Amino acid sequence: MKKNKFESEGNKEYSFALALPAVLWQVLFLYLPLFFLVYVSFVKVLDYSFLKNVTLANYQILLDISYLKIIMRSVVLAFLNALFCLFLAYPVAYFLALRAKKLKNLFIFLLVLPFWTNFLVQAYAWFFLLDNNGILNKFLLKVGVISAPLHILNTPLAIYIVMLFCYLPFMVLPIYSSMAKIDKYLLEASSDLGATSLQTLGHITLPLSLSGIRNGFFLVLIPSFGEFVIPVLLGGGKVMYVGSMISYFFLETKNIFLGAAFTCFSGFVLILLAAVVYMLFKRFDKNK
Amino acid sequence: MEVQRSVRMSRIKACLLPIFVGLVYLALYAPIIVLVVFSFNKNPLSFKWYGFTFGWYKQLFSSVEILDALRNSLIVAFSSVFLSITMALFYVFYGVSSFLHRLMIIFYGSLIAPEIVLAVCLLSIFTFFSIPLGLTTLIVGHTLIGLAYVVPIIRSSYLEMDHRLIEASMDLGATESQTFYKIVLPILSPAIISAALLVLIVSLDDFLISFFCAGASVLTLPMYIFSEIRSGATPVVNALSTLLLVVSSFLILILTTFKLRTRVF
Repeated sequence: MKKNKFESEGNKEYSFALALPAVLWQVLFLYLPLFFLVYVSFVKVLDYSFLKNVTLANYQILLDISYLKIIMRSVVLAFLNALFCLFLAYPVAYFLALRAKKLKNLFIFLLVLPFWTNFLVQAYAWFFLLDNNGILNKFLLKVGVISAPLHILNTPLAIYIVMLFCYLPFMVLPIYSSMAKIDKYLLEASSDLGATSLQTLGHITLPLSLSGIRNGFFLVLIPSFGEFVIPVLLGGGKVMYVGSMISYFFLETKNIFLGAAFTCFSGFVLILLAAVVYMLFKRFDKNK
Repeated sequence: MEVQRSVRMSRIKACLLPIFVGLVYLALYAPIIVLVVFSFNKNPLSFKWYGFTFGWYKQLFSSVEILDALRNSLIVAFSSVFLSITMALFYVFYGVSSFLHRLMIIFYGSLIAPEIVLAVCLLSIFTFFSIPLGLTTLIVGHTLIGLAYVVPIIRSSYLEMDHRLIEASMDLGATESQTFYKIVLPILSPAIISAALLVLIVSLDDFLISFFCAGASVLTLPMYIFSEIRSGATPVVNALSTLLLVVSSFLILILTTFKLRTRVF
């Protein structure tokens, strides 16, 4: 016992170093560049004399209603997409973890599969469904639900539909993995003691899968905010979102100063949004 | 009568969930199925069936550009999976007892920053230090995102595992690294595999980091597909994605069977 303690203390320096690369990677390639980006957002000309020509001019330009509208549009898109994903994903995860017995692996396989086809391809595939002459309109016309084809493509509705299904596996997998860990005897005990399946869901399954819900929510919320591909391809590219605006600044006008300022500003808004969601989950967790 | 009705009601209720799940799966698959079918269409730019052809696939295999893009995508994906899983495991196992454990929050950073912010950051730092853009810069970027997905998954399953096993192993004379390889790694293997799967998916799907950080010389598959979609040359993209679907279903099949085996260990 004593010897072991001594040994593990002797190893400490060595093992500490093994934990470092992951941290260094983040600092070197995320936080350092982030500081650099923030610095760039406060200057008009890039030179090596730090703090000399700091200005708020870039941000003043951004305080225009049209830029604020773009950011708000992305906030709404990200939050609603995560919420819709949760509503759709929770029953699916529940089914996978607790109902699908023999076919469970097949269902998980089928869930991960579309996810493996390239994201762009997935978005692109929806063209065939949502087009004016597409499969969905043909089907609805034949059934007689509508008399004229619906114009879904190149509207926000197309963006919402496609984002929902593209991001769904991100939500299902974490919820599923937290649900699969739930002790089945708890569920049995609950129903043996007379709880309905809804009561069991509310008092046992939901609280115990909350960590999965939280992970899934963030996995959907955050990439949704900066989503570039789907709005550009399916939204027709006419309505700007944060992602398309940033790439416009950096790749088309090549105004990296204004681009950096816009990126920082929308990043700040996203941090606020994420903090609010995090607090909500924390409160929910404590109430249980 | 009353009993019969409640039995029928509960039967209907029992059917609701499978029907819902079935509809979700239908919505997930309908676009893909249509895409696959239309990749064999003689005139895939139209929404009508013009007859069966393998022509687009022949065109696909004769393209040097596509094969090159595929190779680049695979190199980047596997490198970033290896790097992020290794670093995350070492961080979780060796860092949990030190102050590094408190630095956990920094891994959420690359989740809080959406991909496009990461891409813009990386691009600006690479150009500032005049690092040539290419495969290396792509791997750097993809590993950065990979860590953000892997560390929370591996950490949470490490914290949830029975730590008496680690204590028992150390008490019985195993060194820290023996405990790591013989106890922690096997127990965490389901989490590691699903994390690796996630990183592979994220990396292969990734378009934005590649778009910003690859430079002019390197093309990955998503970048190729994006430019094709934008320029409107659809038939080859349909064929390419169908092939990708076949290859990746095969890969996932291998991974799922492997995952089952390790869980039984």
